[in-house]
Amino acid sequence: MEIKKINEQENTLEIKNLVIHYISDEEVVKAVNGVNIIIKAGRTLGLVGETGAGKTTTALSILNLVPEPQGKILSGEILLEGRSVLAMSELELEVIRGDKVAMIFQDPMTSLNPVHTVGHQIAESIEIHRKVSKEEALKQAKEMLELVGIPGERSNEYPYQFSGGMKQRVVIAIALTCSPDLLIADEPTTALDVTIQAQVLRLINELRQKYHMSMLMITHDLGIVAEVCDEVSIAYAGRIIEHGTLEDIFDHMRHPYTKGLFDALPDIGVRRSELKPVKGLMPDPTNLPSGCPFHPRCDYVMDICSQSPPENKWISETHSVECHLYKDTNESML
Amino acid sequence: MDETVKKYTTRKEFFKQYKKKSRLQETWNRFLRNKLAVIGLIIFVFIVLAAVVAPLIADYETDAIKINVPNRLKSPNAEHIFGTDELGRDIMARIVHGARISLVVGFAAVALALFIGGALGAIAGYFGGKIDEVIMRCMDVFLCLPDVLLALAIVAAFGTNLVNMTIAIGLSFTPKFSRVVRSAVMTVRGIEYVEAARAIGATNTQIITNHVLINCFGPIVVQVTLYVASAILTISALSFIGLGIQAPIPEWGNMLASGRVYMRDHAYIVMAPGLAIFVTILSLNLLGDGLRDALDPRLK
Repeated sequence: MEIKKINEQENTLEIKNLVIHYISDEEVVKAVNGVNIIIKAGRTLGLVGETGAGKTTTALSILNLVPEPQGKILSGEILLEGRSVLAMSELELEVIRGDKVAMIFQDPMTSLNPVHTVGHQIAESIEIHRKVSKEEALKQAKEMLELVGIPGERSNEYPYQFSGGMKQRVVIAIALTCSPDLLIADEPTTALDVTIQAQVLRLINELRQKYHMSMLMITHDLGIVAEVCDEVSIAYAGRIIEHGTLEDIFDHMRHPYTKGLFDALPDIGVRRSELKPVKGLMPDPTNLPSGCPFHPRCDYVMDICSQSPPENKWISETHSVECHLYKDTNESML
Repeated sequence: MDETVKKYTTRKEFFKQYKKKSRLQETWNRFLRNKLAVIGLIIFVFIVLAAVVAPLIADYETDAIKINVPNRLKSPNAEHIFGTDELGRDIMARIVHGARISLVVGFAAVALALFIGGALGAIAGYFGGKIDEVIMRCMDVFLCLPDVLLALAIVAAFGTNLVNMTIAIGLSFTPKFSRVVRSAVMTVRGIEYVEAARAIGATNTQIITNHVLINCFGPIVVQVTLYVASAILTISALSFIGLGIQAPIPEWGNMLASGRVYMRDHAYIVMAPGLAIFVTILSLNLLGDGLRDALDPRLK
């Protein structure tokens, strides 16, 4: 009993059976349909999936920032260090946002306010969460800039005076100012070119280890996952269809979709090889297929697939999969 | 050696040429390229200067107010460049002192409209949904009434004086500003930095004032210049029909009204205030159009 309690404490983030739909007059977009995520203290989880798989919506829900009034969290539980985020008042949420949980946004071009200096924007977070004077906040902002490798004296320059990679460094500095327990990185390198991507990833990784943060890394780049993540969850049509450690997913992938994702990667060794994309398209989130949402695209489709949704099965201590191909532990048909 | 190396002696200087100009500088350069807008700016600055130094040009009490019957209805001459009116007052003196009233009331009314309308529009645009519906439908009701009529009703109900007129015009312009600010806020609200601000725990008030409104600056400035022109016209219109500034206080509208009886024989009496209104409105409109083009280069 005692041991279980300690284990629970260790989870920085626990999302249980989360369902989020966007409801408008015309249609209901089923963005997230029962997501389960656990991030242990100090660990990094990679959330991988195609566009529209519900990755960003899941991330926004952790700070209860799902766009109102269309976005509705219909059921589920989000526990941040054991406390329920969905039960918090707006005031409690404001205390947590930026302090306990920080977010790195996808596009540094739009996530910085063009009319404020970068120093001011970093200092804003400090001023909100720490009771310090404006001068002290600006001084700390300069230190943060140095930490992400930008000279401190550039703190009174405006975002347009920075390149894309440097802007993303500023965004990272803003996220890290209050040394959060959980860092959510929503495709932090998508808007950057490849060489800058590597720099930014290295920076995030270094700082994450330095401050012992947990991280949720949202991406559709399996290369990034391999580089920074401890565990991986594969999202499809608003569900986690496979979850495991880096090794489980990369070397012992079980779900046909995961397999499809890896097959779609170009092989740098064989120049002539053709890419094998996963056939078909992501299902329309307003009209999801019956049963397993992946069955219309699946190479191993069976009768049962269109009739009932598969249950989550644990095939090892760390590895779970949602597919009818797997009946019991370790029974492999792939 | 080649030219570039000679031209830029130091590394720093070499990179200086690539350094981006500030946004303000860029906007200003774009503005200067628009000749009409520059003319508008020059005329408007001239009018503002004339209003500021009015007491130096002519004394308010002796030249613009005091009746001097023997001197009445003099055609423009060296002493009175715009002539004198039916009560022997120097028209030039009355024009420059009238400019003070028009500009002060015009800007004060627009400031009032911007403050109330801006706040309502920002709230409506930022929160959206039911709050937006309620505020904007109320504004729509006001928008149905022509502003002169609305201002007229307010002045008629509360009496004619400077403060009441400022409030009347300010309130009648409020719905227009609420619409402008609302639409600007709605565009900015969707940009990621607003979400980023929320993600670091900023309150709604902090986000609206610190991140949203400051980025709506462009369209608001343009609307302010255009509506100041409109406000000045409304003041003159109200004064012309006798519900605005009352004689003997010089105001362009009431100068037109009192001069129109003598228009046939002494056209210069109405010419000066008429031109004053025309030139002021024109300069503000040119200025406003120029600012809009300069602040939003995509519009062209």
